[in-house]
Amino acid sequence: MNEYTYEEITVGQKESFEVTVTDEMMASFCAITGDINPLHNDSDYAVSKGHPGRVVYGMLTGSLLSTLAGVYLPGKRSLIQEVKIKFSKPVYIGDTLTVEGVVEEKHDSYSLIIIKVTIKNQKGEKVCRARMQVGVED
Amino acid sequence: MTHEEIMEIIRRIFRDVFDDEDLEVNDSTNSSDIEDWDSLEHITLVVSMEKEFDLKFDLKEVNALANVGEMADLIARKLA
Repeated sequence: MNEYTYEEITVGQKESFEVTVTDEMMASFCAITGDINPLHNDSDYAVSKGHPGRVVYGMLTGSLLSTLAGVYLPGKRSLIQEVKIKFSKPVYIGDTLTVEGVVEEKHDSYSLIIIKVTIKNQKGEKVCRARMQVGVED
Repeated sequence: MTHEEIMEIIRRIFRDVFDDEDLEVNDSTNSSDIEDWDSLEHITLVVSMEKEFDLKFDLKEVNALANVGEMADLIARKLA
C-alpha cells in the first residue's frame, strides 16, 4: 500500500492496477448489495438483451475506485469525499480491467486532490470514467 | 471587481454546487440558511471559488467568515 503525503503528491502523478472480474466477485457483490437484477445474475436473460453473458455490476467496476484511492493514490492517508462516475461500456465476467488515476488538481487549503480516473478493458476500450475528490489526511 | 460583481459569481457557484437554479444567496446567507450546506459542500464551495477567482484561501481566514458577504469582501481584498 502506498503512503503518499499531501506534499509528496504532484499534479500529473499517475497510478494504475489491473483486476480480472470473476464469478466469485459477482457473487460477493450480489450478497453484499442484494442486487438480484437478472442482467447480472441470469445468463439467458442477459443474452436475450443482446449481451454475450451476464453484465458486471457497474458499481462493482466503480468500487475499484475505492482501491485506487485507498491503496494506490494516495493510499493509506486517503479519505474519499466525492465521486462522479460514468459507465460508458458494459463489462463482462472474465474482463481484465486497468484502473488508472491521474492527479488533476491539488487544493492546499483542505489538503485534497482531484483524481481523473479511467478504467479500460483488455481491448483498450474505456468502460468507465470518473472524477474523485479525495482528502489526504496527515 | 465590485462587491456585487463578486456576489453574482458567488451566486452562480452556489447554484451550481447545490444544483438549484432558484437558490437565493445574499450577503447575510450562511450555512444555517441552506439545508445541504454541510462540511463537504463547504469544501466544494471554497475550492470552486479558488478556481473561479484564481486565488488561494488560508483555512483560518475562511473559518473566520460569518456569511457569504464576508466571503465576497475577502475575495475583493485578495483580488485588489
